[in-house]
Amino acid sequence: MTEIEQKRRPGKILGVLALLSVAAGLYFALIKAPPDAYQGEVQRIMYIHIPSILTAYLSFFIVFVGSCLYLWKRERRDDILAYAAAEIGVLFTALTIVEGSIWGKPTWGVWWTWDARLTLTALLLMIFVGYLMLRSLIEDPERAAVSGAVLGIIGFLDIPLIHMSVYWWRTLHQPPSILRPDKAPWDNVHPSMLIALAINFIAFLLLYFYLLSLRIRVGETEERIRTKTLEGAA
Amino acid sequence: MRWTNIDREEKHGLPEPDRLLLWKDLLLELRRRESLLAMFFFGALLLFIFHFALDVRPEKAADMAPGLLWLAVVFCGTLGLMQLFQAERENRCLEALLLSPIDRAVIFVSKVFFNLILMVMLEIVIFPLFWVLFNLTAWDRLPMIFLYGLLGTVGFCVVGTLFSALTLGARGREILLPLLLLPMLIPVVLATIRGIEIVLQAGDFSEALPWLHLLIGFDVIFSTAGILVFEWIVEP
Amino acid sequence: MQLEVRGLSKSYGFAWALRDIDLELHGGDSVALLGPNGAGKTTLLKALAGLLRPTSGEIRFNGTSLRQGSARLRSTIGLLSPNDHLYEKLTAEENLRLFFALYSRKEKNGDIRGALDAAGLADWSGEYVAALSSGMKCRLSIAKWLLLEPKLLLVDEPYGVLDGGGVDLLEDQLKNVCRSGGIVVMATHDVTRAAAFCSRAVILRRGKLVFDEAKRRPWESFYSAVDEYRPRGEAWPS
Repeated sequence: MTEIEQKRRPGKILGVLALLSVAAGLYFALIKAPPDAYQGEVQRIMYIHIPSILTAYLSFFIVFVGSCLYLWKRERRDDILAYAAAEIGVLFTALTIVEGSIWGKPTWGVWWTWDARLTLTALLLMIFVGYLMLRSLIEDPERAAVSGAVLGIIGFLDIPLIHMSVYWWRTLHQPPSILRPDKAPWDNVHPSMLIALAINFIAFLLLYFYLLSLRIRVGETEERIRTKTLEGAA
Repeated sequence: MRWTNIDREEKHGLPEPDRLLLWKDLLLELRRRESLLAMFFFGALLLFIFHFALDVRPEKAADMAPGLLWLAVVFCGTLGLMQLFQAERENRCLEALLLSPIDRAVIFVSKVFFNLILMVMLEIVIFPLFWVLFNLTAWDRLPMIFLYGLLGTVGFCVVGTLFSALTLGARGREILLPLLLLPMLIPVVLATIRGIEIVLQAGDFSEALPWLHLLIGFDVIFSTAGILVFEWIVEP
Repeated sequence: MQLEVRGLSKSYGFAWALRDIDLELHGGDSVALLGPNGAGKTTLLKALAGLLRPTSGEIRFNGTSLRQGSARLRSTIGLLSPNDHLYEKLTAEENLRLFFALYSRKEKNGDIRGALDAAGLADWSGEYVAALSSGMKCRLSIAKWLLLEPKLLLVDEPYGVLDGGGVDLLEDQLKNVCRSGGIVVMATHDVTRAAAFCSRAVILRRGKLVFDEAKRRPWESFYSAVDEYRPRGEAWPS
C-alpha cells in the first residue's frame, strides 16, 4: 500500500463504522423503538434531532479548542481543525434547525416558533456563518486565521450567556400553553427508546468525526500545495 | 494591566497612556465631528421611522418603548462603531501606536471609553426625545432606566470595539460588522430590554435582578477577555 | 548596539515577500537598503520594527529576540515613513506632544518647541497636519524621531518628498543616531545619495538579499552589483 493509501486507512475505517452505526441507529429509531404515547410517530425525529444539536455544540467547542491552540502555538494544523469544525458545524446546525422545523409542523401546526431551543440553534448558526464569513473576507491568510481564532474564542465565551438570556426570556414570559419542547416529551421512558437514542448518538458522533476528518484532509492538502508552491518559488 | 512605562501616573483611576489616547480621540471627534452628529440625527430619524412603520399608539407606546428605544441605540451605536478606528486608519496611525511602547490593551481600553462617552451623550439626547415623541409620562423612571441602560451600553461598547477592530482589514466591513456583532449582543439586548420593561412597570430593580446580574457578568467577562485578546487582533 | 537577523522569511499566502535574510549590523552602521519596487524593502523595515510577525527566522537586538522584546525595546526603535504616522486633525505640535508622552518622555526646557524649530516648522506648529505639504509632514516626522531618540532608526524612502534643506536635516539626524552608537537602515531608490551617505549597502531583489557590502572595499564592486542586479527595463537607479 502506498503511503497515501496507508494514511487514508483510519479514515476509511471510521467511515465504514459511521455507515454501519447510522444504519443500526435508523433501524432502532424507526422500527425497534415503540411510538411515543403522546406524539406518536413524529417523536421519532428526536432520535436524530438531539444528537444533531449536541454534535453542533461539540463542533463549536472544537472550534474553540483549535482557536486557542492556534493562537498559542501558531501551527497551521490547529487552524485547519478550527476551520473544518466550523464548516461541519454549520452543516449539523442547519440540519438541527430543519429537523426541529419538521418536528414542529405536525406538533404545533407551524414551521417556526420562537421557543428557546430553535432560537438558540438559529443564533448558533449565525455565529458559525459569521466566523466563516470573517475568514473569507480578510485578504491576508494569516490575519484571517488569527482573526478567526479570536472570534472563535469570543463566540464560545458568549454561548452560555446567550443560552441563559434566551431561556430566561422564554420562561420568565410564560407563553400560552403550547407543548414546550424543552420539557422532554416522554414521561415513561421505554428502555428501547433509550437504546435507540444512545445508538443514534454514537452514530452521529462517528458520522461527525468522519466528515470532520475528510474536511481536515482537504485543508491539509491545501496547506501542502501552498508549502510546495512556496518552496518551489524562485 | 501590564506595561513597562518608565513613569506611570494614575489619576482618576485611568493610567497615563489610556488618558492620553482618550483625550486624543475626544479632541479629534470635536474637530472632525464624524460620529456624534451622525449618530444623533440617525437616532432621531429612527424614532420617526418607528412611529410611522409600527403605528405606535399611545396605549401601546409604553409596552413597545423598551424594545424600540434599545433598538435605536444599538443601530446608532453600530454606526459609531464603523467610525471608531477611522483616525487610526488614516496615515497608518495604528502602526504608529503599535510601534510605541504602550501595551496593546491600552488601545482597547481607551477606545472602549471613547465609544462609551459618545454613546452616553447620544443616550442623554435620545432617551428624553423618545419619551417626548411617544408621549410617555413616566419621567420619574427615566433616571433609573438610564442607569440600567448604561450597563447595557458598556457591554455594547466592549464587544463592539472588539469587533470593530477585528473587521478592520476585511472587505464588506459595513455588512460584516453588524452581522458578527448582533448575534453576540443578544444577551445584552435581552437583558437591557427586559430590565427597562420591568423598571418601567414596577418602578424598581428588584424583579430585574437576574437580568442585572447577567449584564454585569457579560460586561466583566468580555472586558477581561477583550483586554487579553486585543493584542492578537491588532498585532501584525 | 547589535542587530542580528537570521533566516528571516515572510510569506503572504502563495508568495514570498522576504526569503532567508541574514544580516548583521553594529552600532554606528548606516545601511542603504536598495532594490527595485516590490523587492521587499518596506517589508524588511517593518519586520525590523516589530510590526510584522515573520514566517520564520529571528531578529535579535543585543541578544534579545524582538518577539520576546519588552516595551522598553520597542521604545528604542523608530520607523520614519513620510506621510505616515501622523494624525491629520491634530496640529504639528499636538502630534509631537502625543508621541512624546506615549513614549513616556518628560519634557524639559521646551524640547518640543526646539525640535519644531530645528525642523524649520516653528511657524507651522499650530497648523493641522492636514494643511502641511508632504515635505513638511516628512520634516515633522524627522522632528518626532529627533525627540524620541531611537537606537535603531528605519527610514522608508525619504528623498522623494524632501527639499534640499529637508535632506540636510534628515542626514544630520541620521548622523546623530550613528554617532551615538545607533544604527540607521534607509530604504531608498536614490543610489547616488545612498553611496554618498551610507557606510554600507544592501540590495534586495524579490525578497532575497543579493548583495551586502561594507564600505571597507572600494565601491566599484557596489556599482557593478547594481548593474548586474538591475532588472531589465527597470528605471532604477536614477
